[in-house]
Amino acid sequence: MRIIVQAISLFLFSLFLFFATYKLPDWFPADIYLRLDPLLSLNAIFAAREIIGRSLWALVTVVATLFIGRFFCAYVCPMGVSIDFLDPLLFKRKKQKSLTIESSLRKTKYFLLIVFIMAAITGLSLAFLMDPIALLTRFYTFFLYPLAITLINLFLDLMRPLFKGLGWVSLSHLHIFQPVFYMSAITLLIFGGIIALNRIAPRFWCRYLCPLGAMLSLISPLGIFKRKVSEECNECMKCQKNCPMGAIPEDPTKTRLRECFQCRTCVKVCPQNAITFPASLSIGGEYSKIDLSRRGFIYSVAGGLGVGFLATQTPFTPLQGKHDLIRPPGAIPETEFLRTCIRCGECMKSCLTNTLQPCLWESGFSGLWTPKMDLRLAPCDQNCNVCGKVCPTQAIRSVSLEEKNHAKVGTAILLKEKCLVWAQNKICLICDEICPYNAIVFRPVEGFRRPFVIASKCNGCGFCEQRCPVLGESAIVVVPDGEIRLKEGSYVTEAKKLQLEFKADPGDDKFILEESGFKVESGKKEEKKPQPQKPKGFLQ
Amino acid sequence: MTKYNHNMTRRKFLKMAATGTALGVAGRPSFSFAKEEYDLVVTSGDPAAATKKALEALGGISRFVKKGQRVALKPNMSFARTPDFGATTHPLVVAAVAQECIQAGANRVLILDHTLHRAELCLERSGIREACKNISGAHVQAFQERKFFKEINIPQGKVLNRVEVIQEVLECDLLINIPVAKSHSATGVSLGLKGLMGLIWDRESFHSRININQALSDLATVIKPQLTIIDATRALTSGGPGGPGEVKKPNLIIAGTDPVAVDSYGVTIVPWYGQNFKGRQVEHLLIAHQRGLGKIDTDQLKIYRG
Repeated sequence: MRIIVQAISLFLFSLFLFFATYKLPDWFPADIYLRLDPLLSLNAIFAAREIIGRSLWALVTVVATLFIGRFFCAYVCPMGVSIDFLDPLLFKRKKQKSLTIESSLRKTKYFLLIVFIMAAITGLSLAFLMDPIALLTRFYTFFLYPLAITLINLFLDLMRPLFKGLGWVSLSHLHIFQPVFYMSAITLLIFGGIIALNRIAPRFWCRYLCPLGAMLSLISPLGIFKRKVSEECNECMKCQKNCPMGAIPEDPTKTRLRECFQCRTCVKVCPQNAITFPASLSIGGEYSKIDLSRRGFIYSVAGGLGVGFLATQTPFTPLQGKHDLIRPPGAIPETEFLRTCIRCGECMKSCLTNTLQPCLWESGFSGLWTPKMDLRLAPCDQNCNVCGKVCPTQAIRSVSLEEKNHAKVGTAILLKEKCLVWAQNKICLICDEICPYNAIVFRPVEGFRRPFVIASKCNGCGFCEQRCPVLGESAIVVVPDGEIRLKEGSYVTEAKKLQLEFKADPGDDKFILEESGFKVESGKKEEKKPQPQKPKGFLQ
Repeated sequence: MTKYNHNMTRRKFLKMAATGTALGVAGRPSFSFAKEEYDLVVTSGDPAAATKKALEALGGISRFVKKGQRVALKPNMSFARTPDFGATTHPLVVAAVAQECIQAGANRVLILDHTLHRAELCLERSGIREACKNISGAHVQAFQERKFFKEINIPQGKVLNRVEVIQEVLECDLLINIPVAKSHSATGVSLGLKGLMGLIWDRESFHSRININQALSDLATVIKPQLTIIDATRALTSGGPGGPGEVKKPNLIIAGTDPVAVDSYGVTIVPWYGQNFKGRQVEHLLIAHQRGLGKIDTDQLKIYRG
């Protein structure tokens, strides 16, 4: 029964993530698992110092836990499911060793929780490091999803001759776009580490480390379902040995309520059928207290504040106003963005073109894993606005397509020394050809028609940067200058105010023959170079 | 899709009309034989009707398509833009040609392009997939992976000795080029010959390493579509090839077997960037003509107008 619920939960988690891509319908909450996570929500609300609408979904989990107990970890948490499902595959369970340092290790998760909350209070979003839902979303995005695509394409390649033979035209040409990500190896190592810890003890992560588990365990003793052992118990200790959470102390009739996540393994293994989980309103006894030492508490508070201090008191913070990164369209102003983003990677999973990539150290510790646009790798498609739709904390705002295309992310600048036309008089037009807004025009300069960027027509989509045929850094690059980052209000209105126009119109190519729009200093002794009278490609 | 329904009825009407004429006058063979004398066919009307008329005037598609053949159609569907931008071939022109090929007994019609924007979006927004979805035997396919390309030699190449071409094009029995008429900021105009660049893998080098006008004529020595049909129902007269730009509506279809002649006529139908040009003034066409790839002077051509 539990296994079925778990399987369904993992399936749903994967399914929601799978659908987080172009064209996600507006009503579909692809980020629901992240929204339901109270740790991420609290983290975002504290760090952003603001009530975030989508984060309030976490109240569902909180209320359910208050009512039922810590069921989330055993039945819903996809990380828990992954651990449970991989465990028997990877490890041969020897006799369970009892950890001598058990009880002090258990406290670790609470200390970590305090550290994350304290860090959030200083304005540092840190819970992403260890929140299981964020971790797993990242793992799926950066590793599992690209791997799955690779395998599917491998299969398609193998079957291609067969498809061709059978005359299945579409299948024989099918190829699924392969996304690639920076930092996928690190993500794999972290996930692998979590799974490997199970060698030491089952659900090691959940017992000792998971801060979300810690948070839920704080409120779980209020839940109405509690383990009860009847008189039939003959103290065979089978339940204690089999409890995946080590929630049964030396006296098997007692329960560590905070640790028990109601998986009911004990019910199953009890030879006496002495264990039940009846509804009861009592708040049970000595084993529901947390014995955080005062010292440990103070250390973790200090630790959280300290990390927060260290991460924010760096030159990166004042430099946020002059940052060098291109953030996704609709990203709120940089400082708020860093505080609100929970680094789940959902936007990067959903990105149609694969331009969204995780940051490593580009904006310091406080910017780890935040999304940036790698426009040399891929442009931002002008028909897609999925990244905002799937952002669980709305660090990237969910806006309509028109609004999104007005959320200028930067401005293209031409590096004339690199540009084939400017530097080498070659016939290249790729940036102009691909620009969706005609923000690049050709004007005659010194006998050749050369490209110029009209900044007021460029919204930074990056098609030019990606397509530029020079090697290495593009000869036309998008810089954050001119970006529009709004916490609220309309991007269209703002763009109008700034006299920007991202619209399909002919641009000044239309007038190109009448006037060059570019005044070359004439006269003096300078040799007057003939200005071309014809557009490129036509002869006189 | 009321738009398409409307055209379907028109198409039916025209088909009936054509059959009627054929039966009434002299019977089909001599009818088509007579038309073969034309170097070039220029028809006007709405997209599907003008296309059918043009094929009819050329002597019917069966002059090109034989039973059981594999046909490749190369429209321009390189940009994720709707037809009104004039950057892609009109979906109804493509559908009309595909339909005719299937009716003439083609075993399979593959409508293909190497798209510049993401493939799914191009197929979706150009309207070409939608227009062809009910034609059984026709498949719309964009190629964005190198594994679907195959390298061939260009024996007469001057700047280009080898080129990777979509494998399906090399394997098909018949290639029909269906470009849209548009301006191009490197080659002046983008018509049939320029459209062939959509069949190769490495387009960037045409702009960065080698002279594009010379390279296009090199390409034309190895990729030879048996038929070129320019969709000039709309013409993107500035801002090409991607647009947005000024879209004029000549409402014309230009078809013929000589790729240079068809293009050369295409140059004359509208002013490009506000100025009138002749085929000889387009560098890549002139080079192709000088290399003997086709006729360039339209006043010496025998043209059917309808």
